[in-house]
Amino acid sequence: MHEGAIAEALVEQVRRWLPADAVLRRVHLEIGRLEHVEPSPLRLHWTALTLDTDLGDAELVIEHVPLVVRCGACGHEHEPDEPSYLICPECGSARPEVIRGAGVVLRRLEADQPEGDPDGHPGRRERAQAQ
Amino acid sequence: MDIPVVENVLKLNDEIAAENRERLRAHNVACFNLIGSPGSGKTTLLERTLPLLTADLRVGIITGDIATTRDAQRLAAHCPHVTQINTGGSCHLDANQVKQGMRNLPIPKLDLLIIENVGNLICPVSFDLGQGATVGIFSVPEGADKPAKHPRIVLEASLLVLNKTDLLPHVPFDREVFLADLHALREDVPLVELSAHTGEGIETWTEWVRGFIAPGALAREHTAV
Repeated sequence: MHEGAIAEALVEQVRRWLPADAVLRRVHLEIGRLEHVEPSPLRLHWTALTLDTDLGDAELVIEHVPLVVRCGACGHEHEPDEPSYLICPECGSARPEVIRGAGVVLRRLEADQPEGDPDGHPGRRERAQAQ
Repeated sequence: MDIPVVENVLKLNDEIAAENRERLRAHNVACFNLIGSPGSGKTTLLERTLPLLTADLRVGIITGDIATTRDAQRLAAHCPHVTQINTGGSCHLDANQVKQGMRNLPIPKLDLLIIENVGNLICPVSFDLGQGATVGIFSVPEGADKPAKHPRIVLEASLLVLNKTDLLPHVPFDREVFLADLHALREDVPLVELSAHTGEGIETWTEWVRGFIAPGALAREHTAV
C-alpha cells in the first residue's frame, strides 16, 4: 500500500539522475519479494504523477528480486519457497539474515540523448544548484 | 543512452532518518518505533506504560495517524511532551515527518522518544525513521496468523508484543500456531505477552524499555532488513 510514496520518491529520484533535456524512455526497477510492493498500483501511481509531463512516455521495467537468506547458525544460503518459513534446510535453525529481496532499487535509466549533448551532461538538480 | 544508478528508491528517506538518528544519539535519546495494526493496542499500551516511566524518565512521543488528534490527547494525559502527526492519507510515517515532529519536542531534555506509527503492519516497516529499535505489536483478536502473514515485521523487530492476552479465553486464537509461525521465521525473536487493559505482563515490557534506554543500549545500531 505504500506504492504511492515509492512512486513519488522514484519520480524525484529519476529527475535527479536524468540529464537535462534527455528524453526518458525506460526506468529499470528491482523490487524485493519482502518489500510487499505491487507492480500494478506502482505503475498506476507512476502514470498519475508523470502524465502530461516530460517523463510521461517512459516505461517502468520491473524485475522481481527473490528472497535469499543466510543462516545465522551454519551460514547456508537458500531461497525460501515462502517468505514466512525461513527455517534452514541444512541445519534446521531459524536465524535468517536477509541477503537479497528487501528494498526497491532504481537500477538504471534509458533515455534518448538530445542532439549535441556530450556524455556526462550534468543532471537537472546539479544544473539548478550551479545556477 | 544508458544511465546506471543502483540506488535505493527510498534513499532520501534513509538520509533524513540517519540525520534523525544522529541528532538523537548526540543528545543520548533512545528511540523506538512502535508498529502494529489499527486496534492492536499501541496507544493503550503507551497509556499503561507512561505512568511507570515518567516518574524518573523524560519521555517524548510522536504519534502518527491519518486523521484526528485523539491519540495525542489520550497520551497528553500521561506525558507533557506529545506531538501528533496527521499523514493525510499516507499509511505510514516517513523520516521527514518524524524530523518535523522532533522540532515540536524538547529533544535534548529527553531520555526516550517513542514513535507510535500509523496503524499498519506492512508499510511502516519499509520506512526507517531514525529509531534505535523497532517494536512490533500483535493482538489476540487479530488471530494467530498475523506473524506468518507479515514476516518482515518479525524479521525487523527488536521485540514483539502479543497484546490483549486477557481475551485468550474468549476468542479463537491458537497460541501454539502463533509461536510456531514466529519461530519458523526467527527462533530467537524476543516476545512479551501482556494485556495493556488489565496490566498483566506489563512489568516485563517496562523492563525491556528500561533496558533499552540504559546507556549500553543507546549504542545499538538500527539494522534494516
